[in-house]
Amino acid sequence: MSELKPKNHKNAHGTTLSYVIGFVLSLVFTINAYISVVNKSTTGTRLLATILVFAVLQLAVQVFFFLHLGRGPKPLYNVTFFFGTVSLILVVVLGSIFIMNNLHYNMAGTDVIKKLAQDEGIAQVDGKKTGACAAVGTNYKVTIQDGKISPTTTRAQLCDTLTFINEDSGAHKITFGQQQSYAGQEVSVNKSYPKTITLNQPGIYLFQDSVSPTTAGNFTVAP
Amino acid sequence: MVEHSSESHEEAANERVMFGFWVYLMTDLLMFAVLFAVYAVLHDNTVGGPTGRDLFSLPLALAETLILLTSSFTCGLAMIAARAGHKKQVLNWFGLTFILGLSFLGLELKEFTEFIHAGHTISTNAFFSSFFTLVGTHGLHITSGLLWMAITLIYVMKRGLTTHMVRKLTLLSLFWHFLDIVWIFIFTLVYLRAFV
Amino acid sequence: MREFLLGKLNMQALPHEWFTIGGTLAFLTLALVAVIVITKLHRWKWLWNEWFTSVDPKKIGIMYFLVAGFMLLRGGLDAIMIWLQQALSSGSSHGYLSSDHFQQIFTAHGNIMVFFVAMAFIFGLINYIVPLQIGARDLASPFLNTLGFWLFVAGVIMVNMFFLFGGQYAATGWLAVAPLSGIQFSPGVGVDYWIWSLQISGVGTTLAAINFIMTILKMRAPGMTLRKLPLFTWGSLCSMVMAVTVFPLLTMTLFLMFFDRYFGAHFFTTTLGGNAMMYTNLIWMWGHPEVYILMLPSFGVFSEIVSTFSRKATASYFTNVAGMIGVSAFALSVWLHHFFTMGSSADVNAFFGLMTMIIAIPTSVLFFNWIATMYKGKIQFKTPMLWFLGFVGLFAVGGMAGVMLAIPPVDFQLHNSLFLVAHFHTMVVGGVLFGIFAGLSYWFPKIAGFRLNERIGKYAFWCWFIGFLMAFTPLYVLGLMGATRRLDHYGSSTGYQPFFIMAFIGGLVIMAGVVLQIVQILASVMQKRQLADTTGDPWDGRTLEWATASVPPSYNFTVIPEVSSRDAYLLMKQNGLPKSAYEDIHMPRNTAAGIYISAFAFLLGFGFVWHILLLIIVGLLGVIICVIRRTFNEDIEYTLKASEVEELEQERAKKARAKISDTAAGGTDEDMGLIEFIKTALKWVLDVIKNKRWRTW
Repeated sequence: MSELKPKNHKNAHGTTLSYVIGFVLSLVFTINAYISVVNKSTTGTRLLATILVFAVLQLAVQVFFFLHLGRGPKPLYNVTFFFGTVSLILVVVLGSIFIMNNLHYNMAGTDVIKKLAQDEGIAQVDGKKTGACAAVGTNYKVTIQDGKISPTTTRAQLCDTLTFINEDSGAHKITFGQQQSYAGQEVSVNKSYPKTITLNQPGIYLFQDSVSPTTAGNFTVAP
Repeated sequence: MVEHSSESHEEAANERVMFGFWVYLMTDLLMFAVLFAVYAVLHDNTVGGPTGRDLFSLPLALAETLILLTSSFTCGLAMIAARAGHKKQVLNWFGLTFILGLSFLGLELKEFTEFIHAGHTISTNAFFSSFFTLVGTHGLHITSGLLWMAITLIYVMKRGLTTHMVRKLTLLSLFWHFLDIVWIFIFTLVYLRAFV
Repeated sequence: MREFLLGKLNMQALPHEWFTIGGTLAFLTLALVAVIVITKLHRWKWLWNEWFTSVDPKKIGIMYFLVAGFMLLRGGLDAIMIWLQQALSSGSSHGYLSSDHFQQIFTAHGNIMVFFVAMAFIFGLINYIVPLQIGARDLASPFLNTLGFWLFVAGVIMVNMFFLFGGQYAATGWLAVAPLSGIQFSPGVGVDYWIWSLQISGVGTTLAAINFIMTILKMRAPGMTLRKLPLFTWGSLCSMVMAVTVFPLLTMTLFLMFFDRYFGAHFFTTTLGGNAMMYTNLIWMWGHPEVYILMLPSFGVFSEIVSTFSRKATASYFTNVAGMIGVSAFALSVWLHHFFTMGSSADVNAFFGLMTMIIAIPTSVLFFNWIATMYKGKIQFKTPMLWFLGFVGLFAVGGMAGVMLAIPPVDFQLHNSLFLVAHFHTMVVGGVLFGIFAGLSYWFPKIAGFRLNERIGKYAFWCWFIGFLMAFTPLYVLGLMGATRRLDHYGSSTGYQPFFIMAFIGGLVIMAGVVLQIVQILASVMQKRQLADTTGDPWDGRTLEWATASVPPSYNFTVIPEVSSRDAYLLMKQNGLPKSAYEDIHMPRNTAAGIYISAFAFLLGFGFVWHILLLIIVGLLGVIICVIRRTFNEDIEYTLKASEVEELEQERAKKARAKISDTAAGGTDEDMGLIEFIKTALKWVLDVIKNKRWRTW
């Protein structure tokens, strides 16, 4: 396709009106996002989604009203490149977050081998016990609501499981005494995403939310 | 055989340059994507130090956002004047854009110097490394844009508003709008997010 | 003050080891010889005006070839050193290289081969051939073209600069994984040279890729829709779109590594919140698409060659293109397969393993296409076709090894073993390099005006093919036996040494192949008259580049052709070639801006390596000022009037007629063989010595 015929470029560049509309819409979205955060109209994931939606809307507004994408001469290669770039940006950013999270979950902690063995349920290697549980016993639930833990005390046996359920909208990061993790497992609980740990070490354990230590409880693991 | 008039030759060349510059802007967006990815992964690594929530001033960030947004708007108005051939209006609107851009930089430098005086530098921890690099890279782009603006306006004053100059201004305005778009996401994912 | 002027440079930085002294002397001698020869022949002005400042993509293409060829020898020397060390070093013997030196060698080998040989040859081919194939006179931006080339040259100089200053290169492997490449574990300048040579040439690559995309999408001849695009151009388009999307990732990752080393940032450090795994993640997001960037133009070359030498149109144009696009699209979704063992969960590994295996599908589509094209065609086994057949054998084997590696549990055994090394060398040598050699021998008549000696070409091919099998089959076996890569010494109880010796002998055979390629070129020059290409179409080609004379004029076509089908030139030949016509042609002026900007960029990079504030300031200011001066320079084109074009064409026609009668007079001897070449060469040397001919040079 050669470009020999002079094209009508008027549409490609926009009028004062289009810039004004774009400007006003962008102002609206910016201020709305700001107010949502400052006034805490929602919290947690919902708030994050809200401000992201405002950002994407403003992106669309600016791309259309300021950059005039899609209104230039055809073929619309720059539109193709734009959407391709956006897809790749999502792959780069979301892909990195997902992969690094996954790596962090597996690799962070003092005893990575033990943790991996625990996750995969590998009880022994080369005749030596790994300390992981071969089979799990009863499951106990601990609920966090309004910053309170119930039940406060749980009595369990070795190789039982303990599930932390968060009913509050904010995240709770559970630390165990002075340590951040229990047997190498970090427990950061969000609403609708309960976390389960396998109790493979006997003892008495205190736990609390690292940000608000009044949210506390304990459990015992009998051998 | 087809005779290429010098006009259509010029137009075809213009189109090519615009498209090529657009592709370059896409590569710049991808560079920012890496910085966003790095910030997302490392921003929690404060090693017990202060987080964004402790340090960022949302009113300052809002001011920066509104200033940059307005400068994007004045830039658009400048381009309308450019295509209409009104040299004086072009200089005025771009002049205003320049001042707004400079104010944005001023506010950003104020924030950076405050952090540095408080002892938080790029080498303090991973959070600060990624914060200073992401926001700083954007600031460097703004600085380059301002430099580009100043020099182009000087040439416009000397050579007048020729088609070549209008093309250069168009590329500059594309760059400026694109920087505002990147800032929307910095505002959202760095500043606002810290308080979510 | 001293720091401002000299940074960290001191007397210790100057060469004082056997290899730094040797390397410095070698380069200086070569440079001296070049300077003397050029001065004696009074060619400085010619070199500057006709070549260095040229924006003609044909000239830039040839310059890319020459630098790439030189770097092929430099990287090949690294390879021989590695082969020799591993053959010698077993049990109580530790070879002749220290561990640290060995590590620097394989790092340099990888960087040079990928960035400064493979990419360079590919950019040379795209530069020369794509405008001709799409019926354009030049690339979209002649300035970006020359800038991209000279930035690449600055990178080449930077990667070799350590011989003179610093004495060490990166010893981290070609991708310099963190935290080994951080300032804590690599405190010397080696990794800094690594960063800046890649950074500078990487910017050149990105600019060139933008240029190529602009050209292919916006400068095609009238009537040439994307569906009629020649397949080499398609391969180049896919490759350059990938390049433009992933090189920014490399640029930014290199900057982050630079910030860690220079400003003490903590992106990839082991302390204060850094995450070294993020580096691996980011660098392979670039690294994997990079190998497909290298491969797709070769796929394009092979598509052209198979069609021409089977004297048949491609079996299915649509699926061929779909295959190329499919490979490009999937290439961006597989990068984790380079670090299956870094610790991600089984489900994440499984996803990326599956995606990797899926890439075999569009690749096979391409293979079946080529085979179907050959089916019932009239196959001519010229040298380009031989390279293709060698590729088919090797790439299939290497590809299957790749599919094996794509299975995470298998990869846990084979990751970073010699099996992996054998796999990727099979792909890069059997795939990319054979494609480059095929393309160069296919288009050589167009580029030089005479074709290459077929006989010696065949010997060279067989040496490469057999040598490669001898050098890398042992490595597959060694990998399966458990040998780890990148080691300069293995215990004697492993029983590895015989394999390494065989690999070394294979390396010698490959070296013989390289020598034969050089001999092939010399022999072709000797028989220039007889091998001359007088028609511009030595292979009875199908695409537009064959419609021009060999060598094409600077403006490529007197008049841009109108295209109405695929294999446009074939249709033109069948319908009768269009009559000559002339029109005014807009040509870009030569410019030295690319050279100046790259020189300042080099100073900037060198300043960063050695922390020399003066050079950093000078470099930065220089780049900015030169860019401003160039972008505001309005006098960048000139017009060739139609009458001038007609005159030039008539001159060329006269010379071509003389060439034809010359060729006829040169006799119809066969291409000379090796023995005849040696005899002729010796005769020439003796003649020069006896008659003291150097006095007349």
